Amino acid sequence: MRKNRTFKAVSLVVVVAFIFTVLAGCASQAPAEKPAVKKPIKIGMSICFTGTAAEKGQPIGQGELDAWKYINEELGGINGNKIEIVWYDTAYNAAIATTNVKKLMDDGCLFFTIVSSADATASKEAANKAGFPGLVIFSSPSLTNPPGRLYSQLPDYGDDWAAFCNYYLKNIWKGTGKPKMALAILSNSTGYGVRDAARVAADDLGIDIVTVEEHKTTTISEIDALTRIKAKNPDVLFIGSTPAPTSVILKNAYELKLTPGMTIACGHAGFTKALIDLAGKDISDGIYGVFPTVNWGDDVKGMPKMNEYCTANHKQYVGNNDYLCGWTASLINAEIIRQALKNSSLDVLAKGDATAWKIAEEKGFRMVKGYDVEGLHGPVDFSDPVDRRGSKSVKVFQIKNGEMTALTGWIDAPYIKYQ
Amino acid sequence: MSLPCGTRNYSYATDIAIIRTKTQWVMFIAFLLLIFSFPFYFPRFWLDVMNLIGITIIAIIGLNILVGYCGQLSIGHAGFMAVGAYTTAILTANFQIPFLLALLLSGIAAGLIGLLFGVPSMRVKGFYLAITTIAAQFIIIWIINHWTDVTKGSMGLGVDAASIGPLSFDSEASQYFLIISITALCVLFATNLARSRAGRAFIAVRDNDLAAEVMGINVFSYKLLAFFLGCFFAGIAGSLFAQWRGHITPEDFTFQQSILYIGILIIGGLGTSIGPIIGVVFIRLLEQFVTLLAPLVERSFPDIPSGFATGLSPMVFGLVMVVFLVLEPRGLAHRWNLFKASYRMWPFSY
Amino acid sequence: MEQLIQYTITGLAVGMIYALIALGFALIWKSSRVANLALGQLVLISSWFTYGMLVQARFPIWLGIILTVIFAIFLGWAIERFTLRPLIGQPALSLIAVTLGLGYFLEGIVVVAWPISVAKLPQIFPNEPVYIGSAVISQEYLWAAGISLALFVLLSLFFKYHKMGIAMRATADDQLAVQACAVPINRIFSLSWIFACIVAAIGGVLISSIGGITNALIETGFKSFSVVILGGMDSFLGCMVAGPLIGLLENVGAGYLTAIIGPGIKDLIPFVIIILVMLIKPYGLFGEERIERI
Repeated sequence: MRKNRTFKAVSLVVVVAFIFTVLAGCASQAPAEKPAVKKPIKIGMSICFTGTAAEKGQPIGQGELDAWKYINEELGGINGNKIEIVWYDTAYNAAIATTNVKKLMDDGCLFFTIVSSADATASKEAANKAGFPGLVIFSSPSLTNPPGRLYSQLPDYGDDWAAFCNYYLKNIWKGTGKPKMALAILSNSTGYGVRDAARVAADDLGIDIVTVEEHKTTTISEIDALTRIKAKNPDVLFIGSTPAPTSVILKNAYELKLTPGMTIACGHAGFTKALIDLAGKDISDGIYGVFPTVNWGDDVKGMPKMNEYCTANHKQYVGNNDYLCGWTASLINAEIIRQALKNSSLDVLAKGDATAWKIAEEKGFRMVKGYDVEGLHGPVDFSDPVDRRGSKSVKVFQIKNGEMTALTGWIDAPYIKYQ
Repeated sequence: MSLPCGTRNYSYATDIAIIRTKTQWVMFIAFLLLIFSFPFYFPRFWLDVMNLIGITIIAIIGLNILVGYCGQLSIGHAGFMAVGAYTTAILTANFQIPFLLALLLSGIAAGLIGLLFGVPSMRVKGFYLAITTIAAQFIIIWIINHWTDVTKGSMGLGVDAASIGPLSFDSEASQYFLIISITALCVLFATNLARSRAGRAFIAVRDNDLAAEVMGINVFSYKLLAFFLGCFFAGIAGSLFAQWRGHITPEDFTFQQSILYIGILIIGGLGTSIGPIIGVVFIRLLEQFVTLLAPLVERSFPDIPSGFATGLSPMVFGLVMVVFLVLEPRGLAHRWNLFKASYRMWPFSY
Repeated sequence: MEQLIQYTITGLAVGMIYALIALGFALIWKSSRVANLALGQLVLISSWFTYGMLVQARFPIWLGIILTVIFAIFLGWAIERFTLRPLIGQPALSLIAVTLGLGYFLEGIVVVAWPISVAKLPQIFPNEPVYIGSAVISQEYLWAAGISLALFVLLSLFFKYHKMGIAMRATADDQLAVQACAVPINRIFSLSWIFACIVAAIGGVLISSIGGITNALIETGFKSFSVVILGGMDSFLGCMVAGPLIGLLENVGAGYLTAIIGPGIKDLIPFVIIILVMLIKPYGLFGEERIERI
């Protein structure tokens, strides 16, 4: 009997909570009818704070939110207008990511930002159909090919690979003929992005892909894959993966005495501070990496402010370049709004309806030309009708004594034509 | 108490009717009106959530036939959905096959693949059978990832919104009508299936397959039939999912989802026709609830540490699941039946 | 030939780690017929706890490990007491769904308590590789293999000779009969969860000292699924044979098939083998065959 009563009580609480959320969901609709006093512009975010990709979603998401805190509280908003932030967690669940976009549209957001390529893929068609523009932080080729409403902040994993190939051919490769390259990739869109790019562009770049090996995020030994790679005797190994599996590969390569000796490079998903922690200073020494932003602590204009906010609010992410990507995404958001405000009025944009979205895209996104993102990553330009990548440049780094040292300035990441 | 007080069976027709009394008719029509009027007062977000609920209900109905009625544990349902989704994507884009036909073919394709992985059920039972369905999940997704000429691998395939003749279902509201109608048909089919000869055979196989065999039921062919039907529904759900989403990739059909589907079915109630519906509505709404909860908590309490609000979502989700199961281990459908019985008896408690 | 030796050694060593995680699964199945879907999350949370003790609180390694084991004991007790005990006598599938909910809950706790989301444990084992002929193996794997072997021996002896162990086996066989013999089955379930959590914690420390602590540990838990089923759900010996067997097949199979079929075949091999084994021996390699009566 007691259990029965508990059940009733719990069900009642849950039902009330449901009704409450439904009302909360509709509430954002209701005030839109009345002439509001002065409605702020709303910006949406869909972030994978939890779930499998939380290791990326947490620092990026907190970086985004911290940057907005800085813009709203310290700079007093954009042209004096405070911006309201609406965010939802996708839990790295494709179904939730899809419904999140609709929620952001219903909430009257002007445009939205999304972190991971998997979540963005799930949101892509919804955004395209409704004409709701979005900025993707870590993008993949399928999102912007053919061009739709999504814009990517940084070059994607395939572009990393192409940029490194160019650098390698110019600066490291001393032999004759085509260099032999092996790929060790993660068996999801992070790794397959590299594979797909290599399929399309390897011949044009003058690279001979001798073997492709896949691994999972859970891997604890890649000795077997490296043994096969060793048998093909490649000149260079490119790893397209996240930090933990990359560190396993580096350790195993060291055990198999591939390093020192073979050139190894990593794509930007795996080339973070966590990699050096996980693999250790000695083993990661000399590894090349491609990353689309400056290094943490570099002397650029936006660095001190970001460092200050990160230290104050999220000490654990100091030195984490993912946080930097999130921070810069918000700076770009702010620039888009600035452009849109220049070409339209606050009242129109604050409505957050289909007209506002169209203006946000045409007068906001497309007007961003050569924005320097306070020096934190390559200049952003969304004016190209086909190439929807904001920043088109990366830097090549090398790990020396446990530090990532930039070897180049901004080098161009070539645009790969998939169709 | 399966019937309201004072209802008696005078003919076979009344005995097998699903809706028995005038009150039930009134309530049924009111329910239909309510369901079909949703698009007029719900914003697109909630409509979309309901579209997702409808699609998931179809998938779980299939799982219920397989696990709930026939007792064959399957932990690869998302994989079979992927078969349906990709069949629709390929057929409609490459061969211009009309949507309804593609929907049917997707179901059949998924069903046939299901048959293939159902063959080990001849010898293997229970959790040992689960591994073959887990294998199905991984093998299907692996093939989609590597057969890039057809599936485009991780790039995924674009799918046009469904259209039947001149009707095109490209808005949330029209999607809602399409999905809810098909869901209703599936619910009706599954309800009737459970009461048919095949349904009773399934239950016999589930309860004791040796006894069923002795009674003259061909256990193996009924197990295969259950696999076919279960995966057929998964294929239908996958097909609807593909045209609802507009773009599918292998990452939409993960192993974690297959496990969640089993969880949804158990919470709803195995082997009942109402169970899958209650379970799906409960879990999908709970998912949205925790998603909306996290930013709300952070806004209301700005001083809490940053990870707290985001960590709250999975915590609340898990906790509610545990609490409901602890309080009602036989599924919410069982509680629903108790509730029905109690209001039919009211005000007398016996 | 050189490659074959390398594949064999790596495969066996990695397989021993799979076996260790699988032991935690078999422990609970053996005494209570519950499939623990939260295994990966248990591995994850105990790895983070170890990180908290060793890195954040800066305890020495021996103390940190002891505290982790105490934490695992508490975790096991709490899980059994608050989520599974109320469900004794209910359908087995409901118990399984409870562990699913538990998994989400534990994942949430990890996000709240350790929002860092990726970290490295301090060096517990020396990482200098050992060379056997031309083949190489890292010492971490050897330690892990040794520890899982030791745990296997301990658990087997316990189940074979200790009074409680015998009672646990009896419970798995027939709950009602055991209750009639006045065996406290509450305590038996509690104990089996405590053991399972300890094994998961040790497995977590070993795995994360090799590959770092990330959310991927959750999926590692699923990996053990195939090991236990191949071995037979209720057999420790099955786990200890099936683990290395799967590791071996994965590595050797991938070694020679990747060139023919394509990259990524490694992940499919165990499943194909298991389906084949199931068709010949439906209760796994060492599982107990149940004689069915009507």
